[in-house]
Amino acid sequence: MLELKDIKKSYLQPNGETTDILDIPGFNVAAGEQMVLLGPSGCGKSTLLHIIAGITRPDSGKVLLDGVEITKYSEPVVDRVRADKLGYVFQTFNLLPAFSALENVLLGMTFARKKLSRDRAKKLLDRVGLSHRASNKPGAMSVGEQQRVAVARALANRPKVLLADEPTANVDPQNQKQIVSLIRETCHEDNIALVMVTHSMEVSDEFDRVEQLAELNRVVSQARAAQ
Amino acid sequence: MSIFKIAWRSIQHRGLGSLLTIISMALGVMLVVSVLSIHGLISDSFRSNSSFGYDILVGARGGGLQLTMNTVYYLSQPVENVPYEYYLAFCDEEKRNTDLQRSFSFEAFQHEMDSLELCSVTGGGCGGLPARLSEEIVEASFESRQLHQSQIERGGIYKPYTAMAIPLCLGDTFEVNGHGEEGAYFRCVGTTPEFFTELVLDVDTEEKFKFEEGRAFVEFNEENGYYECVIGALVAKNSDKKIGDLIYPTHGDPNDDSAHIHERGFIIVGILEGTRTPHDRAVFLNMEGFYLMEGHDKPIDEGPPTVDEDEEDSEPAEVDEFDMDDEDDEADNGEAVGQTWTRGLTSVANQAAESTEEPNGSTEAKVWPRRLAIEQREVTSILIRTEDPDGYGALGYILPAKINDGSLERTLGWSAFRPVRAQKAAQAVNPIGEITNFFATFIAPIQWLLLALTTMICIVSGISIIVGIYNSMNQRRHEIAVMRALGANRFKVMAIMLVEAFLLAFAGGVLGWISGHLLNLAISPAVEAKTGVGIGFFDFAPGIKLFGLLEGLLGGSTWPDWLVDLTVSPEFLLIPGLILLAMLVGIYPAISAYRTDVAKALGK
Repeated sequence: MLELKDIKKSYLQPNGETTDILDIPGFNVAAGEQMVLLGPSGCGKSTLLHIIAGITRPDSGKVLLDGVEITKYSEPVVDRVRADKLGYVFQTFNLLPAFSALENVLLGMTFARKKLSRDRAKKLLDRVGLSHRASNKPGAMSVGEQQRVAVARALANRPKVLLADEPTANVDPQNQKQIVSLIRETCHEDNIALVMVTHSMEVSDEFDRVEQLAELNRVVSQARAAQ
Repeated sequence: MSIFKIAWRSIQHRGLGSLLTIISMALGVMLVVSVLSIHGLISDSFRSNSSFGYDILVGARGGGLQLTMNTVYYLSQPVENVPYEYYLAFCDEEKRNTDLQRSFSFEAFQHEMDSLELCSVTGGGCGGLPARLSEEIVEASFESRQLHQSQIERGGIYKPYTAMAIPLCLGDTFEVNGHGEEGAYFRCVGTTPEFFTELVLDVDTEEKFKFEEGRAFVEFNEENGYYECVIGALVAKNSDKKIGDLIYPTHGDPNDDSAHIHERGFIIVGILEGTRTPHDRAVFLNMEGFYLMEGHDKPIDEGPPTVDEDEEDSEPAEVDEFDMDDEDDEADNGEAVGQTWTRGLTSVANQAAESTEEPNGSTEAKVWPRRLAIEQREVTSILIRTEDPDGYGALGYILPAKINDGSLERTLGWSAFRPVRAQKAAQAVNPIGEITNFFATFIAPIQWLLLALTTMICIVSGISIIVGIYNSMNQRRHEIAVMRALGANRFKVMAIMLVEAFLLAFAGGVLGWISGHLLNLAISPAVEAKTGVGIGFFDFAPGIKLFGLLEGLLGGSTWPDWLVDLTVSPEFLLIPGLILLAMLVGIYPAISAYRTDVAKALGK
């Protein structure tokens, strides 16, 4: 479902020098498979997810999403693929404060080509246990509730791949467990490939497949070896 | 979820900022709407009021614009009056016959005729005169009679070209709270009953005055004599006067110390329906009663008119018919006629009984004063509607030139009692021409200035949108990045920004339009009191031929006629114009949204 090959990314610094960020030989994630990328801060976790999502273009390499090589297409095509096939759960939730919980979930399917379904949005809210908070705005909800709305939004467009960027970093331990379980269960039920990035061992322990990003990313591993 | 909803939610989320942006635009639009509609409606009203029912004004020589202003709009003070005979020059034989027989001159003539008849009856001598002298007197009286008949038994020299002539006498006012007290005052207009029966308010529809209550006054009746009046709708509204109440005019300018209230009151017999013209703020007095008020009769202590030597030498002749083809007509010789049959007489009784009833219905007998003699009458102006039996065309412009050539002045001199100083030179003007010149000279530059100001206001309003959106751009970048991460492409987020600008402009425009018209409604009474033009909520600024103007600016004439002639109120262009402006200024934040670095913004 998701295939990465020889992904490299570097950034141009203000002083004109380039800094390598990522050098990953690649990995695959099958449909319904759940994988966690474990690594400390600064090892390129967010950049890797942005590349998978098509938000950031790699300097080289390929990203295939449900058979579509998104690194080959123009930005509008990538945007459409992202809208149709990808779900994204952010570390800071990123719910839009102007919208209610239900509208935030609807926003998840607004840009996809699939038909907008208010019923599905309600069902998703019900699935994350927040049907009673549908009309509430994020500002009126707890951190745990906001992240559950964010999960519902990420699932709204029936994605093939769900990317979760440290979804439990800002929640308390009790909510952390609930949210991870929620994400995993829904992905399992809908046969969605899950790539979760975390630095938490507690979270990674729950996954069968754990990749150490610090080892996977040759930029980091070589730097460590040099040290 | 549509991009409209997303944009609307964004506006709602920034409630205060959005509201201030909308209010800023609404204030601009309100000002523009109010300025455009009030200025436009007053201008339009000035133009349309000058085209109703008459096409020539005749009055004392002086400024044509002032004559137009005080006659058509009842503004400014009338400077001078002209002899009543000028009005008779536009009347038919019957009217002239009736009126001229109410002159001192005619009475003197009648006395002379009676005396001579007595002489002829006694035969062989008159009061001891020799028989030959008596015969000469009888012969002279025959000649005098013939000439007299030629004066009164004929239509006025301009009658063939006159469909309607209505005299107006101005100068008095009606002060609602009495003289010297604070409060509104309205112009009194002495006129004839034909003002209500013949004058049309709109030349296209032939619409005439309608009465809310009552009727038009009559020239004389047993009940009220000459003292009936009709009041305009605004006068009725502001004074609470009803049918049967009395109006006491103030003589002269109410702001002048010498002004005083006349003792004679006029009974209100009619209240006009609102016409949204200056007539609404006028009190119409029966002209016969107007003449009989103190100070309104021209003194006759100045002796007979002086006659030029050339004219004295000339042979008496009839007054020629108005000849459109000959601008060099010789002076009419009517004055010589008058001198012939009035010479030698010095005075005639001025007052005599005409009727015997009180105006208030009292059974006590009362002698009504006799109508004022023609020699003592003057009019401020004459409204003329021309007719063109000979097909000259543009008579409304040709006739004034003939009148200004001095032909009216040559109709004077028929009476020894006409005061010399009363023989004012007349002028005739085309009110539409005067108003057009006035607008071209004074109003058009003001219009351009207002247009420039309103354009600036609109631009400032548009800039307020960009300020409103730009100030929240940092917060927006993060939201835009989230939407982009959810699959929105750059064009969609750009469209959301533009739709937001559109919604702000639309809301500001509609709110401003409503506020502008509410403002018009609020200040309508003040505007109406000053100009006579009332403004309702749904009164739009008068239309302009936008495409005609554009075609003129761009040159060429390839556009279809219907498009060129299409008239659109500038108000209807205001909101689309504002939206267009908003979209233009909204492009900058939209491009900023388009260029948002998603990864960086998400990182923040």
